[in-house]
Amino acid sequence: MKITALLVLKAAPEATDPVILANASDVSHFGYFQRSSVKEFVVFVGRTVASRTPPSQRQSVQHEEYKVHAYNRNGLCAVGFMDDHYPVRSAFSLLNQVIDEYQKSFGETWRSAKEDSSQPWPYLAQALTKFQDPAEADKLLKIQRELDETKIILHKTIDSVLARGEKLDSLVEKSSDLSMASQMFYKQAKKTNSCCTIL
Amino acid sequence: MQARHVQSSYRDRTDEFSGIVESRRRSIAPTAANNAPYGSGGRREDPRSAAANQSEFSKRASLIGLAIHQTSQKLSKLAQLAKRSSVFDDPTREIQELTVVIKQEISGLNGALLDLQAVRNNNSHDNDERSISRDTTSHSATVVDDLKNRLMDTTKEFKDVLTLRTENMKIQEDRMKKFSKISSKESANPFVRQRPLASKPSPSQPAPLPWANGSSSSSSQLVPSRQGEAESSPLLQQSQQQQQQQQQMVPLQDTYMQNRAEALHNVESTIHELSNIFTQLATMVSQQGEIAIRIDQNMEDTLANVEGAQSQLTRYLNSISSNRWLMIKIFFVLIAFLMVFLFFVA
Repeated sequence: MKITALLVLKAAPEATDPVILANASDVSHFGYFQRSSVKEFVVFVGRTVASRTPPSQRQSVQHEEYKVHAYNRNGLCAVGFMDDHYPVRSAFSLLNQVIDEYQKSFGETWRSAKEDSSQPWPYLAQALTKFQDPAEADKLLKIQRELDETKIILHKTIDSVLARGEKLDSLVEKSSDLSMASQMFYKQAKKTNSCCTIL
Repeated sequence: MQARHVQSSYRDRTDEFSGIVESRRRSIAPTAANNAPYGSGGRREDPRSAAANQSEFSKRASLIGLAIHQTSQKLSKLAQLAKRSSVFDDPTREIQELTVVIKQEISGLNGALLDLQAVRNNNSHDNDERSISRDTTSHSATVVDDLKNRLMDTTKEFKDVLTLRTENMKIQEDRMKKFSKISSKESANPFVRQRPLASKPSPSQPAPLPWANGSSSSSSQLVPSRQGEAESSPLLQQSQQQQQQQQQMVPLQDTYMQNRAEALHNVESTIHELSNIFTQLATMVSQQGEIAIRIDQNMEDTLANVEGAQSQLTRYLNSISSNRWLMIKIFFVLIAFLMVFLFFVA
C-alpha cells in the first residue's frame, strides 16, 4: 500500500510532451544509487501516461510492479505511482483532491507553463506522506472500515450480553430456591412454636 | 429397471388381470352387437381403459424410477467432484452445470410424480368398482409412496452435497487467503478490506486473457465483484488491454463509477445490519431486565420469610427459657405422682 510518486502535469495537445508542474516522490525504500534513476523513470513514465490520457478520463496502467493512475481534467493531469495493493478508487479520489488543491492554489497560471517547473509544492509532499494509508484519501473506505470495527465490537457486546443472560438465569433459579427454602424454614419454625405448648 | 423389480416384489398380478380382461372382453363382445352402442361402448371401454390405465400407470412409474436412478448416479458424481478439494484444479463450472442439471431433473421428477398420483386418483374415481380391485389401488399407492421416498432421499443427498461443497469452498478461500497473505507480507489487520487479490484470480480463473476484447471485461468483472471490492483485477486486465487498444475508456469510467456505487451500497447495508444488531441488543437487555426484577422479588420474599422464622424462633426461645411454665409443670407432675402414690398405697 505504497505511493511512490505523485505528479501534476499539464497535458498539452497530442503533439507535444506534457509539462511537469509539480512532482513529489518517495524513493526512500530504494538504495541510494537507484534513487535518481527511479526519479527519472517516474518523470518519463508520468509524461508518457499523461500524454496518452484523453481529457476528462481516468486511466490506470500497469508498469512493471507499479500501477500508474492518471486523471486528466481539462488539460490538468494528475498522475500517481502506486503499488498493486493500493485500492484504485482511493487512488482516483486522491488524484481528484490533488487537482482541486492545485487549481485552488495556483489558479490558471499553469496553462501558460512551457517547461518543467522545478519548484516543489509542499502540499504534494504532504499529501504523499499522508495518503500512504488509502483510508485517508477515500472517505468511503474510512467509513467502511469504521463500520466494520463497530460491527465487530457489537458482536462482542452481544456475546457478553448473552453470557450475562445466562448468569442472570442461574441467579434467578438460585434465588427462587432460596425463597422456597426460607419458606420451609418459616413453616418449621411456626410449627415448633405453636404445637407443643405443654412439654 | 428398478421400478419393475420393486413392483414384482408386491406379487405382480398384472398377467392375471390381463387374462380376466380378455375373458371379459370376449364375453361382452357378442352381446355388444345387441345392446345400445353407447352403453356397450362404455362397458367395453371400461376394462380396456382399466387395463390401459393400469399399464400407463406402471409405464409412468417405471419411467420415474429410472429417472430417479439416473439422478442419483449424477448426484454421486457431483459428490465426488465436490469432495475433490484441491486448491488449483477447481472444477467450478462443471460442478455448477451438474448442480443445475440435477435441480432441473429433481423438479421434473417431482412434477411427474404428482402427475402419477393424479392419474391414479383419476383411475380410482372414473372406473367402476369391478375393474379396479382393492389390491390394485393399494398396489399403486405403495408404488407411488416408494417413488416419493426415493425422491426424498435423493433430494436430501443433494442438499448434503451442496453443503459439503460450500464448506469446501470456504476452506479453499481461507487457504488462498493464507497463502496470498504470506506472499504479500501484510500486517494481520482484520479491518483491512483490501485483500491482495492480484495473486488470487490468476490461478483460479482461466477467463481473463489480455488480448480478449471488451466483452470479456464484463465477465471478469462479475466474478471478482462476487468477492467484494476487487477493483484491482478488472482494472489490471483493462489496463493491459489499454496498452494495446484504446477503446476501453468508457468501460473504465463505468467501472470507477460502479465501484463507487457498490461501495456506497456496502456502506448502506452495513449500516442496516448495525441497526438490526442494535435492536436485538436492546431486546435482549430489556428481557434481562425483567429477569433481574424477578430475582429482586425472590430475594425480598426470602428476606420476609427468614425474618418471620427468626421472630418465631425467638418467641420459642423466650417461651422455653422462661421459668414460670416450667415451675407450674413440675408442680403438677409432682402432685400427680403424689396422688397416684397415695391412692394406691393408702
